[in-house]
Amino acid sequence: MALDWRSWLLLALFALPWDSWGGEADPVTSVMWDYYHARLLDGAPFVFDQRVKLQAPPFAEDARQVPIQVDASAFAGQVERILAWAELNPIPQIFDFAPGERVLLRLAIRIRIEQATPLRAAVLTRDGLWHVGSTQIDAAGGGCTAPSVVRAQAGWEEHLGEVLGRRFVLADASRLRLQIAHPMDNGLVGGIPEFYLNQAELRDASGKILARLELFPAVSENPTLSLDLKDEGETELWLRDNNGNEFKAAL
Amino acid sequence: MRWILVLALICCSLAARADFDYRLEPRQIAESVWLLEGSTDNFAAANGGNIVNTGFIVSDQGVLVIDSGPSRRYGEALRQAIARVTDKPVLKLLLTHHHPDHALGNQAFADVPIAALAGTTQLLAEQGEAMAENMYRLVGDWMRGTEVRLPTETLTPGPLQVGNRRLQLIGLRGHSGADLAILDETSGVLFAGDLLFYQRALTTPGTPGLDLWLADLERLQALPWKQIVPGHGPLASSAAPFKQMRDYLGWLDGVMRDGAEQGAEMNELIRTPIPERFAGISLSRYELIRSVSHLYPRYERARLRRVDR
Repeated sequence: MALDWRSWLLLALFALPWDSWGGEADPVTSVMWDYYHARLLDGAPFVFDQRVKLQAPPFAEDARQVPIQVDASAFAGQVERILAWAELNPIPQIFDFAPGERVLLRLAIRIRIEQATPLRAAVLTRDGLWHVGSTQIDAAGGGCTAPSVVRAQAGWEEHLGEVLGRRFVLADASRLRLQIAHPMDNGLVGGIPEFYLNQAELRDASGKILARLELFPAVSENPTLSLDLKDEGETELWLRDNNGNEFKAAL
Repeated sequence: MRWILVLALICCSLAARADFDYRLEPRQIAESVWLLEGSTDNFAAANGGNIVNTGFIVSDQGVLVIDSGPSRRYGEALRQAIARVTDKPVLKLLLTHHHPDHALGNQAFADVPIAALAGTTQLLAEQGEAMAENMYRLVGDWMRGTEVRLPTETLTPGPLQVGNRRLQLIGLRGHSGADLAILDETSGVLFAGDLLFYQRALTTPGTPGLDLWLADLERLQALPWKQIVPGHGPLASSAAPFKQMRDYLGWLDGVMRDGAEQGAEMNELIRTPIPERFAGISLSRYELIRSVSHLYPRYERARLRRVDR
């Protein structure tokens, strides 16, 4: 079949990668982007987008407890999911967050990193496009394979699933800060199989789901997280780990 | 072909050797008291980790050395520097605390007693290897051959007689958990270790709490000192380092206390503006990021309560 010049032009346009298509260039140096694009985003259309604010310290002082914070407020009303991962981690995925309408598009959590790595937060908007926020963190490393701090404490099992928390009034939100006692074993420390919280839901007083959060063992021991809500209505946090233990907290 | 390679290697190694010279210049700050002042920068390949103040006191019997520096090379350079000043033998090395910039030159003092508080020896045994590894990452080849060498003598706080010099050893813990300050009674020089940083942001890994640190400062300031050698930063003969430390510790404590009260996240706290009055203090942003990582978890836990059901 012979193509005329218009068809060729169209083909050439499609052949261009999505990110060079008027979008931003990758702001971090990454050797793994194509892999994660295919594996976590199913190769779907994406743009590198600075409006997805992903914050982390420039370096990891404690590679076992690295604070990251995602803010996708620029896409209010359009977001379906937010995924986060650390590209050079043995266990890269951090969370898969599905925020409902009463929850702001912000999430803070602490993670483990094994070495200096690019970090990503990918926001899926209703039009099917992934908006990818990026940052880079330096590290001496070893956070994923360091011996458990929780397990070193005698009687830690008795505290499993205890939740410390509090609500705070922010200028534009009601913030829930939570810390859940759990070793979050990632299977990389000798002789200890995977044992980690993998599901969380934030519900209102009537049990309606306000946000869903899938967690992965890149999340630190005793996970510490912040969720920002639009109102001050009562909430319940429901958690489950991969051994089927369920925990609840009310705030 | 092969001889070119050999020649090139020799040239490289000569150049490298010339580069790894700490050029230590002891400065006499009082009768028989000498200071080796490091920079107020961070660890870097450019400075070989020489960001620390070390010193020595020459008694009629021999030399008492205070801290061994960040690497084997530094320790050896320190020995040579001492030998340029006096032909008296080194009698003893005192460690102010276990941090790598103060205690990784110990190998150069293998022939004399290395004395430290019991807590210092324990902390160096626990953390030394990891700290040394991190130093290799930060300053590279300057560290070549450096290994942890533990103290061989345990110090108890109180008077210490070295030849004709009487010293006061003060056992504290605000900076690292086991901190030794040394007052030379003859000259009135106070080697404060890292309980005092001056014009350089203080570091907090291992501090048992900023309140304890503040209490330690009070004890130190009350001593009959005439000059102060901070662990990092310039020599002082006024109480300015104490004033700055108190101000800075109070600010740091306030940032984290208020942050925990208001529900701030770590990433928000590390972007706190640095007050104008600390503009002259080196590395304040960098150390704020580190301190928030070290200490904020304690502050935030204190503000949270049990909410599980």
